[in-house]
Amino acid sequence: MTRLRRLLGELRDAIVQAAFSLVSHKLRALLTISGIAIGIMTVILIFMVQSGMSASFARQLSTLGPNTLFVHKWKWGVSGSDWWKYKNRPHVTMLDLRALQQNTTLPVAIAPLVNTLATVSHAGKDVKGVDVRGTTDGYLDATGWQIRRGRFITALDQEIGANACIIGADIEDAFFKGQEPLGQQVRVGPNMRCDIVGIFARKGNAFGQTQDLRVVLPLSSFIRTFGSKRGLVVAVVAPEGKVRETEGEVTAVMRNARHLAPDQEENFSVNRQDKLLEGFEQMMKATNITGILVGIITAIVAGIGIMNILLVSVKERTREIGIRRAVGARRATILWQFLCEAVMVALVGGAVGIALASGAASIIDLISPLPARVDPRVMLGGVIGSAVLGVGFGLWPALTAAMLQPVEALRYE
Amino acid sequence: MALIELEHIVKTYDLGLSKVPALRDIHARIERGEFVAIVGQSGSGKSTLMNIIGCLDVPTAGIYRLSGRDVSTLSDDQLADVRNLEIGFVFQSFQLLPRASALENVELPLVYRGVAKKERRDRAVEALATVGLEDRMKHKPAELSGGQRQRVAIARALVTQPSLLLADEPTGNLDSRTGEEIFHLFLDLHAGGNTIVLVTHEPKLAARCPRAVRLVDGLVIADGPGREVAAANAEALGAEALAQFQAAERAAQAGARP
Repeated sequence: MTRLRRLLGELRDAIVQAAFSLVSHKLRALLTISGIAIGIMTVILIFMVQSGMSASFARQLSTLGPNTLFVHKWKWGVSGSDWWKYKNRPHVTMLDLRALQQNTTLPVAIAPLVNTLATVSHAGKDVKGVDVRGTTDGYLDATGWQIRRGRFITALDQEIGANACIIGADIEDAFFKGQEPLGQQVRVGPNMRCDIVGIFARKGNAFGQTQDLRVVLPLSSFIRTFGSKRGLVVAVVAPEGKVRETEGEVTAVMRNARHLAPDQEENFSVNRQDKLLEGFEQMMKATNITGILVGIITAIVAGIGIMNILLVSVKERTREIGIRRAVGARRATILWQFLCEAVMVALVGGAVGIALASGAASIIDLISPLPARVDPRVMLGGVIGSAVLGVGFGLWPALTAAMLQPVEALRYE
Repeated sequence: MALIELEHIVKTYDLGLSKVPALRDIHARIERGEFVAIVGQSGSGKSTLMNIIGCLDVPTAGIYRLSGRDVSTLSDDQLADVRNLEIGFVFQSFQLLPRASALENVELPLVYRGVAKKERRDRAVEALATVGLEDRMKHKPAELSGGQRQRVAIARALVTQPSLLLADEPTGNLDSRTGEEIFHLFLDLHAGGNTIVLVTHEPKLAARCPRAVRLVDGLVIADGPGREVAAANAEALGAEALAQFQAAERAAQAGARP
């Protein structure tokens, strides 16, 4: 009981003294605190942006489906040195698509994908930068998109190059507020008039950008309007658990269609989304390391600030230490007192840093496409981190204070 | 049992190149209820002795018993506890916490004793009343006169009801009238049953203490009623001063005759 009372009394005293010490040296405290605050803020922001990107990327990928293969000129997740090799490959063409459609047995669905950005108009109103895609009837199965009303492109639409289209929810909002879009027409690009035959269910944002500002056409109609120079990506959906076999079959069919000899390298890639993930993870690892490095450096800078403020405080309060020791303070009491001061500086800095990071996050959220928000767990981490920083860098000065001889401390001028 | 027993106390300061003996062989006993002056010039070792008696420092050799307990065997923490429980310090330079009020200064030793807040406050108020400062409790040391500061320090020493009041030149930083008041306060406290050890370089103060111990070069050279020790001291000082004066004169004459 006495012990607990002593501890509480000492703790209260330590907090009051530490607060006094900070208030009586406002500028010094302010500099140290802002050092810690900036450090904590930087680290929180780096990790926030990172986790925001990861989450957004993962959500984006999940829409592709794990069983989907993508036949493409490019190999996903490749950067830098191999660029020319892929650049010089031939495009994936209608011939390749036809070969895949006719000669594979395993796939559940096959859909070509090609897109461009174009202006879409209706009743004298233009919407620029619409994602216009050409594909075939396999698209819904291959991508997981859903039709809310009307129908999707049929094999017949593709066969005859029908002027039919399916519009995204944003296009519906832009042109047909309170009207029935089905049966009406929109103009896609400079000179193509399309009948609206279906409306997609709203998909929401990915990477902070809307996915609903889109128009989907039959591939044949797309090529007629926008030309055939663009390469295709062919999405191939493998049956559950047969991704590897399907990949093998697709590769074989493609090699055959391209007339590659057995010793020739492939001039196409069969991509899976996990390859994309690999590339992304590699990039994230690099930014992670950067984040950790920046974190360490700011921690050291902030820690030196804490150590400095504490060393000065110990010097200034040497006599006080002597007085306290003379009237019965133990070494540990002195140690706690100065640690308390260090932790207080660090916590105030940490709190300011978290507040700054939260403020910055709301601004980023407002003006950039990335969703930004400081996770409560990150806040807790910031608090714990700054406390650890305080103890870590306050320990040595506090120890020197505790180890002072009472006689010498009392004599100190 | 004597409150303080000093046996063959030796204290040597190790300055690296040389060893400086501060106390060479101190023997002394101080009973409960005594008022003893330790008198000596600067460098005589009286401050060192006071630090040892106050458990702020430990002797290089010898045995120091406080209330029958051999202090030289205690750990640092135990020494801190002894200071808290047994000893009340009064210093020449007051040694108050500048940022704390008079009341908070007096409460401090009770914090380290784990006394509850309410009782702490009551006892501190009582101690401040004893030294006549009941109307200055909320003042910071900077807002108090020298005499008042020393009274706060005395109240802080008294608040724990220590076995020993240890005062190091308590009037040294005060004008003579205030110094006199403070000395009277010590006389009153002694009359009230407190044991007091007062370190001073002023023979006049020592003369008014019931007992005085005179130190020269780390040795006790006189121990007896204050008046007698002080008189012997004054004589010795006189002889010393004369000798010094004569030496200086001879040197001056030697210098004048090239």
